[in-house]
Amino acid sequence: MKKRFAHETALLALLFALLAYAKFTEPKFLALDTQRKLLEELWELALISIPMTLIILTGGIDLSVGSAMGLCAVVMGMSFQRGYPPALCALLALVAGLAAGALNGFFITRVKVHPLLVTLATLAAFRGVAEGMSGGASVEGFVETFKLLRDPVPALIFVAFVAIAAWFLNAAPGGVWLRAIGFNETSARFSGLPVDRLKLRLYALSGLAAGVAAVLYAARFNTAKADIGDGKELEAVTAVVLGGTSIFGGRGHVFGTVLGLLLIHETREFVKWHWSNEYIAIVLGVLLILSVLMNRFLGDGES
Amino acid sequence: MRLLERVVPVVLLGLAIAGCGSNPPAETSNSSGPAPASTSPASGEKITIALLPKQKGIAYFTSCAKGAEEAAKELGDVELIYDGPTDGKAEKAASMIDQWVLKGVSAIAVSPNDPQVLAPAMKSAKEKGIKVLTWDADGDKAGRDWFVNQATAEQIGNALVDTLAKDIGGKGKVAIITATLTAANQNEWMKYMNIRLKKYPGMTLVATKPSNENQKIAFTATQDLMKAYPDLKGVFAISSAAFPGAAEAIKQSGNNGKVMVTGLSTPNDMKAYVKGGTVKSVILWNTVDLGYLAVQAAHAAVKGDLRTGAKTFKAGRLGEKKIAGDNVLLGDILVFTKDNIDKYDF
Amino acid sequence: MTLVKRIFLQREYGVAALLLLMIAVVTAVDHNFLSRQNFLDILMATVPVAIVACGLTFVIVLGEIDISVGSLLGLTAVVLGLLTSLDHAKQPVVVGVAAVLVLGTFVGLVNGVLVVFGRVPSIIVTLGMLTALKGLMVILMNGENIQNLPDSVRFLGTGTLVGVPIPLLVAAVVIAFSAGLAVYTPLGRRLYAAGSNPHAAELAGLSVRGLKLFAFTYTGFLTAVAALVTAPRLSVIEDSAGKDLELMVVTAVVVGGTSLSGGRGTIAGSLLAAILLGSVSTALIFLKFSAATYWERAIQGGFILAAVLVDHLARRDGETP
Repeated sequence: MKKRFAHETALLALLFALLAYAKFTEPKFLALDTQRKLLEELWELALISIPMTLIILTGGIDLSVGSAMGLCAVVMGMSFQRGYPPALCALLALVAGLAAGALNGFFITRVKVHPLLVTLATLAAFRGVAEGMSGGASVEGFVETFKLLRDPVPALIFVAFVAIAAWFLNAAPGGVWLRAIGFNETSARFSGLPVDRLKLRLYALSGLAAGVAAVLYAARFNTAKADIGDGKELEAVTAVVLGGTSIFGGRGHVFGTVLGLLLIHETREFVKWHWSNEYIAIVLGVLLILSVLMNRFLGDGES
Repeated sequence: MRLLERVVPVVLLGLAIAGCGSNPPAETSNSSGPAPASTSPASGEKITIALLPKQKGIAYFTSCAKGAEEAAKELGDVELIYDGPTDGKAEKAASMIDQWVLKGVSAIAVSPNDPQVLAPAMKSAKEKGIKVLTWDADGDKAGRDWFVNQATAEQIGNALVDTLAKDIGGKGKVAIITATLTAANQNEWMKYMNIRLKKYPGMTLVATKPSNENQKIAFTATQDLMKAYPDLKGVFAISSAAFPGAAEAIKQSGNNGKVMVTGLSTPNDMKAYVKGGTVKSVILWNTVDLGYLAVQAAHAAVKGDLRTGAKTFKAGRLGEKKIAGDNVLLGDILVFTKDNIDKYDF
Repeated sequence: MTLVKRIFLQREYGVAALLLLMIAVVTAVDHNFLSRQNFLDILMATVPVAIVACGLTFVIVLGEIDISVGSLLGLTAVVLGLLTSLDHAKQPVVVGVAAVLVLGTFVGLVNGVLVVFGRVPSIIVTLGMLTALKGLMVILMNGENIQNLPDSVRFLGTGTLVGVPIPLLVAAVVIAFSAGLAVYTPLGRRLYAAGSNPHAAELAGLSVRGLKLFAFTYTGFLTAVAALVTAPRLSVIEDSAGKDLELMVVTAVVVGGTSLSGGRGTIAGSLLAAILLGSVSTALIFLKFSAATYWERAIQGGFILAAVLVDHLARRDGETP
């Protein structure tokens, strides 16, 4: 049993080592106010990483989430421009996200195309539609209503996301199903599991999360534009795999993703705080490979 | 396994507490949380000035940083931080500002890659009593005290159109190669370029293409434009990657002198093309002086030497610099040509 | 089975058909699209994707992936510049070329070793590399563009040999070699065997590890080759070198019909897809439909979805994949 969570233990050790180092070198970095302010940066990425974990658990991937964020932001911005009430605008953004995710799900489950290929296509397509609809322009000046969505609301939404995902994985039969699909989809199908329905819902959920993230982003920066979320898909995949979820599916947990997110976030902020921006990439790249290697030496085998 | 199940909820709880804790001390000057550092240092103390470029690591801003370091050294009591996102993402720049506010710097000079995205962070820095300036490009006016102004978006747009009009004799088909379709600064310039183009009825804008900050894409797009529009006369290449890419495409296709390209770039980056005849005019300002002036102005703002209503202020080796309202003026836009480009080294 | 269905059963033909359709439509609007010059330009623009795709096709056939190629191309371009530029180390072109090839091969080997012996999933290894190499490149450049490449280096990108541009010649050699390797040598047959069923291949005495090591190293080497012939095409080496290349190559390979679960896929398919996706932008310019500018990426994404949908429809009544 100890072996099973070797990876999470390794991540915690790395996180504590980093924070201990920070404690000695930059005491101010660990102050509650500092940490809280810096965490604001994390929530959008954190939100899309949770459905991403579930998708990767089934052996899939969603590379289109970042672009879906841009699409949702543009839908919200343009409906706001037409004078729709703010709540409706946000709702439309969520619907757009859900539809975008369902489109991915449709191609993956009905047309039976590999998720990587489908979401590579929609990575371009969603961003393209967002650019086309908005003509590259931004919509600004969201009303006070959206202020309600600022800190600490995103943190609460994230905790709710994690709680639901954890409940689903641990308590509901769905968790076993997801892992079964990830380990062997064919046998999961033959066992009568609703593979397609489950996958379709997961991709739709991923789109929905992108919608929520887009609304939060727009609330935070008071602007909606087609380039929102650019590159977020790779960051999310990084957080998920750093958190110990097997890219081949079957193994992993949202708790690992939470740790992965925290480790990435603290590393990035600390490198910026203590050194300088250009070292972030190298440190994160090495960290990613090291954490998995470390996991190997701790003996958590994965074929 | 049990270990993990115990630890993760604790971490989550910690996050939730951090998220729902006391309100940030944004409106009140003193709060019960850990005190932010004093922002007006006593005399003799170092003044920390943070200089934020749109993108760290590109030649344009590296030359600005040189001038900034020069000013910091001359002033003596300045500790300069030059840092920014290496990918130019505006939300990452905003989180840089947040960090500097938390660290308690005296002044922040921002070159906003997307004014709207940076506005909240700049505003909250200003509310904490930190002197906030914009330089290189202006941002949300409510979020800054001063703008170190080398050129407004309107002036840049006008200069681009006027220069190319001069180079191609005021008539013919022209095209724009921009950065990305969503680039805030470029979109602002293009807005003014379109207005200015009305002054030249002989010039028609046939296409606008993104280069996605990629020299190769700018190169290919320029090649394609010249084939699709054999009578193309001029190209505006309005990002640092687009300009050399477009110039190289014109040179390699043998259209030297037939198709003109202009844009913003440091003279060193475009010297070869200007001397080779591919490019007649390069538009820019003295970037080293711009970085120098930004630090000088930030220093003066902290010291209280930069006062509203004043007409000039003393900016080190640059001498008396004009102030117009809340703008500190660097001087005119420069046009580099074959005749003067050797005089500049940045 | 009708001929149409047979054509679409092979993704290569589907992509080729889509490409021909696009050429026909655009040429109808502007016959210059079919000019020799445009043909050359499109091929030249496809060179880096084509060269790297030759290696990546093998990697994906083996069921692995390499997304570090864009960063590696950028890094090798910068190293080439720093070694040979007259503003920097001023080394002869041979030194620069050798160093770049060694560096590319080495990084490919490291990728392979981490995947094969470290048993780290290839997407994690190469995602880490993508980030780390890009960071290294930014630090090496020190905020300044690299200029003043000597003519001997520029020749690699802009020169011609018997009237053919060097990058095209190099790409042709790489393609011929890789395709020959895949079709006519035991190594090629082993690659596909190991890709379609690693366990069976292992039982049959093939070294799947060795094959993977080869595929990653070969991709690293080819990425360096691509850097050698594409970076010197431009006079300035800046931080956009290699940007988004991994996305273009992976898209080309999978759209070209290489199965992501391994075992299936040809270099011809990858190349056709690379040309198809690479010329969408050119086609839009020739269509002189300026409103399309903002929809370009949507059209590209739509093309990919259309290709897979057609593929699916053709398959549904045909054999099972």
